[in-house]
Amino acid sequence: MAVRANPNLLKQLKRYGADDVTKCFHCGTCSATCPLSQEPFLFPRKSMRYLQMGLGDRLKGNLEPWLCYYCGDCSDQCPREAQPGETMMSMRRWLTAKYDFTGLSMLFYESRTAEVAAIIVVGILSGIGFYLLGALSGGDFGSYPGFIPGHNAEYLTELGWDVKSVVLVMAVFVLGLLGINVLRMWWFTTGSRKDLNVPFDIYMKHILLCPWHFFTQKRYSECDKKKPWVVHIILMLGFVALFAVFLAHMIWQDDTHAHTYLGPLAGVMLVGASSFALSGRLNKTEAHYKYSHHSDMNFLYMCLFVGLTGLAQHIAGRIGCGAFANFMYILHMMGAVPMLLIQLPFTKWAHLVYRPHAMYFAAIQADVIAGREGAKGASAVPHKQSA
Amino acid sequence: MVKVLRTGVYICEAGTGAAGSVDLRMLAEYARELPSVVKVVECECPNPDPVSVGEQIRKDNFDRVVIAADSPGYFKPAFARAMSLAGKSPENVVLASFVGNGAGASGSTERAKAVICCAVSGVPFGLAASQRKKSVHPDTLVIGGGVGGIQAALEIAGAGKKVYMVEKLGTIGGKMAMFDKTFPTLDCSACILTPKMVSVGQNKNITLWTYAEVEGVSGSAGNYTVTVRKRARRVDEAACVSCNACSKTCPGEAPSEFDAGICMRKAIYIPFPQAVPNSFLIDEKACLWVTSGGQKCGTCVKKCAKEAIHLNARDEIVEITVGNIIVATGFQVFDAVKMERYGYGRLPNVITALEYERLTNASGPTGGNIVMKSLKYNKRKKVDEWVFGPDNPKPKNVAIIHCIGSRDHNHNRYCSRVCCMYSLKFAHLVREKLPDANCYEFYIDMRAYGKNYEEFLERVHEEGVHLVRGRTAKVEEADGQMRLKGEDIIGGKVLDFPVDLVILSVGLEPVPESEQLASLLGIARDEDGWYAEKDYNADPTGTERGGIYLAGVCQGPKDIPDTVAQASEVAARVIRSILSDQMQDSRNTLSLADIEDGLRRQE
Ligand SMILES: Cc1cc2nc3c(=O)[nH]c(=O)nc-3n(C[C@H](O)[C@H](O)[C@H](O)COP(=O)(O)OP(=O)(O)OC[C@H]3O[C@@H](n4cnc5c(N)ncnc54)[C@H](O)[C@@H]3O)c2cc1C
Ligand code: SF4
Ligand code: SF4
Repeated sequence: MAVRANPNLLKQLKRYGADDVTKCFHCGTCSATCPLSQEPFLFPRKSMRYLQMGLGDRLKGNLEPWLCYYCGDCSDQCPREAQPGETMMSMRRWLTAKYDFTGLSMLFYESRTAEVAAIIVVGILSGIGFYLLGALSGGDFGSYPGFIPGHNAEYLTELGWDVKSVVLVMAVFVLGLLGINVLRMWWFTTGSRKDLNVPFDIYMKHILLCPWHFFTQKRYSECDKKKPWVVHIILMLGFVALFAVFLAHMIWQDDTHAHTYLGPLAGVMLVGASSFALSGRLNKTEAHYKYSHHSDMNFLYMCLFVGLTGLAQHIAGRIGCGAFANFMYILHMMGAVPMLLIQLPFTKWAHLVYRPHAMYFAAIQADVIAGREGAKGASAVPHKQSA
Repeated sequence: MVKVLRTGVYICEAGTGAAGSVDLRMLAEYARELPSVVKVVECECPNPDPVSVGEQIRKDNFDRVVIAADSPGYFKPAFARAMSLAGKSPENVVLASFVGNGAGASGSTERAKAVICCAVSGVPFGLAASQRKKSVHPDTLVIGGGVGGIQAALEIAGAGKKVYMVEKLGTIGGKMAMFDKTFPTLDCSACILTPKMVSVGQNKNITLWTYAEVEGVSGSAGNYTVTVRKRARRVDEAACVSCNACSKTCPGEAPSEFDAGICMRKAIYIPFPQAVPNSFLIDEKACLWVTSGGQKCGTCVKKCAKEAIHLNARDEIVEITVGNIIVATGFQVFDAVKMERYGYGRLPNVITALEYERLTNASGPTGGNIVMKSLKYNKRKKVDEWVFGPDNPKPKNVAIIHCIGSRDHNHNRYCSRVCCMYSLKFAHLVREKLPDANCYEFYIDMRAYGKNYEEFLERVHEEGVHLVRGRTAKVEEADGQMRLKGEDIIGGKVLDFPVDLVILSVGLEPVPESEQLASLLGIARDEDGWYAEKDYNADPTGTERGGIYLAGVCQGPKDIPDTVAQASEVAARVIRSILSDQMQDSRNTLSLADIEDGLRRQE
């Protein structure tokens, strides 16, 4: 296949945050500094090269940006301040937009106004929706948790199903979108590559890598710096806990255990990790916090918002301020729904799906390549140039 | 009658007088009073609009406009267009550049006034601002006794003029004296330099003060008074015959500067056998007698048959008068400890370029054998130390890493120019002396820019040196084996392989005292700390002060041939000024009245 160069690629990537790519003079310091960069995936320098040359098609099929967790060591060591770490981050944003078939992701990434507007609109709609849901099912705004669907027992049977169906529709929508996009990702990176021709058993062999990386983010912990991994995993587990509370509540109508213990814990984790990351980004404390795209900030603000309102709801409910608790509950939902409908499928949060899949596809590719060429670690000798 | 051109002066404020040094209001007042000036416009806009400016030109009927700014060239196109829109000749746009005429950030309002005054009168600033000629004292001072200083001093002394040479170390010779070979010819460095050094020592016209420093400079071009501190060598140069009797029993020790610190020397020492002056001296920081306030030791005095040692000698201050001063203070190398990842200072067999020069030099501590350091018990300090010895094991894999501290925004941004070439020289020497060893050179770009340099690169390549593109990232040690991690960009691989000796090609940096010397001399330094030349193209060796010149690396990284050429050029200028007995001082010393005076002379 002919290789096509896209002269506007750099200009495009600028909107996703890659500003300093042209400064790179290919000294190779970054790829060798990175503890995660290993055969056959050598990054970030090679991606810097593709970008400079405008090889958009190559980049679209490139898994390397997902293999980088952005510890920022490369950017610190780069003699040209070309910000290779931030470039990898920008490529992750760009890839997210490329995987998304609806084009919304591109819109939200390229325009801050669009992302913020979408969040506000969805937020307001869900605020109205959840208020009506409570009010119509006869809930009393002053009593907590009676106002929350599923708690006002008399209407439970009548309305319980409806709430579930709303949730179900949302879940199908989000999962469907992400599913299609993951398929596209697979096609760009692995499926369409004739040179790989991955046998089915290799797909099966590595399948557990997906959940493994999702829950442990093991690879992140292999960076020389450990703190970012800790912050990240706390944020992630916060969400898992929140999700568990939600499921417990929605499906099994369990309010006691999940709500009393897991809920506040999730809230504290979310608030703690997101405010740490936010203050890092605002004060530019570390390499990976130096540059912030609007999608990063919006995501962290939303995490903080959802965490804070959830905690406030819980505390107010505990001390018997029913109306305030319900108010916080509405606000909480006004944050949570846009996160699930906008940020999860289209922007920052989508990495939660793509990243584990990238690890999975990368393992598959490495396996195939190693099988063909014989396993090869870092080379013991430099290649010989003919004199 | 000559038609008076109705002149409009535009003072463009955008980007002008940034440091608050130029008072734009006072400038405008001054310009208003100048003959032929109809109006002064203070223009704030960074991008003047030709249409509206054109309208104003038409309205005020300017025949000519003067743009006054730090760098007015930037605004010229807009004004030229405005002139043609107004139906006037775009030729009549005159620039009054503050930066170009010494009234930039550090300049003054007075100087800016003079620049505008010249522009309005249509006389080039350089013509009006010419200094009245001064007569020149025939003696010359050369600061720094490296190859640059030596060359300049010999040229001037050869013309029969008197030269004082002040060198901070105990011998002249500079860095070149430390080298084994020079690129690209692979000439023996000492064979070229030693005769020149000896000539300096013997020349009747040269007064050489080593172990000395310039402490004060006053006066002006053609007649400077310089104070020099001759630090006490404590050994009489004239009496010492370098028999070495004293140092054998001397208990004081310090790392040898001349050997780049890879071996020790005594407190009473001669930097190297061919040193000029060929005499011992005492390092007061290492000498027991000095550090104990005269209580201990003193053995050397008893050993010296010539009674040359005077332990209680004092520094001497001398004052000289000279017409010209040549600054040739050279450089120091980048401190590789700053780049932690290469392990210098932590891993014994990671060494710097200067250390390697001594290692491979036949007169160096290993007799020119390229070996690794090994642990040896130091009886006096009672510790194991990593040291070089002539019989130590030889390395099998040698890696040379380019651009250490150079071309790096975290350290020095500039290219140090000589490292690529000296690294190739190193690689050649590895191949020559250790034919069984592998030699790898890691580079970002190979800069073989000089005459015969590209050919030298090809030659070294053919000798079997592995040239690897990629600067490499780190050197680590595991189980007593160093490993080098890097990217082989052309081969498309990440490398992680064992090495025994790593040579860091450290860049060139200004000497630490250059700031102090610059302020003593009243000359400027550029943003990297090198002394600033007066004009990059037209006067690369002059400075803002008349009669003070730059030679060699102190003006910016360069190799030996360029240093020598520059030194000879400077010498020619000095000799010219002495023979013609005429010299111009720097324009910086001119006042507004002087320049107005000069203008009247031109008109
Ligand atoms: C490892 C290495 C290898 C090199 N190999 C080569 C080569 O093979 N071929 C080549 O062409 N070039 C080579 N170079 C470059 C070469 O060293 C320089 O071009 C040359 O030394 C410049 O001479 P210089 O007189 O300007 O400076 P220097 O050699 O640095 O001499 C300056 C002198 O001034 C003295 N001094 C400094 N400050 C003061 C002060 N305040 N007062 C009094 N005296 C002072 C210093 O003590 C020194 O003696 C190499 C450089 C390095 C680092
Ligand atoms: S370290 Fe910087 S300059 Fe070097 S290859 Fe990486 S991005 Fe480019
Ligand atoms: S007096 Fe100083 S120089 Fe002389 S032998 Fe003792 S320590 Fe060495």
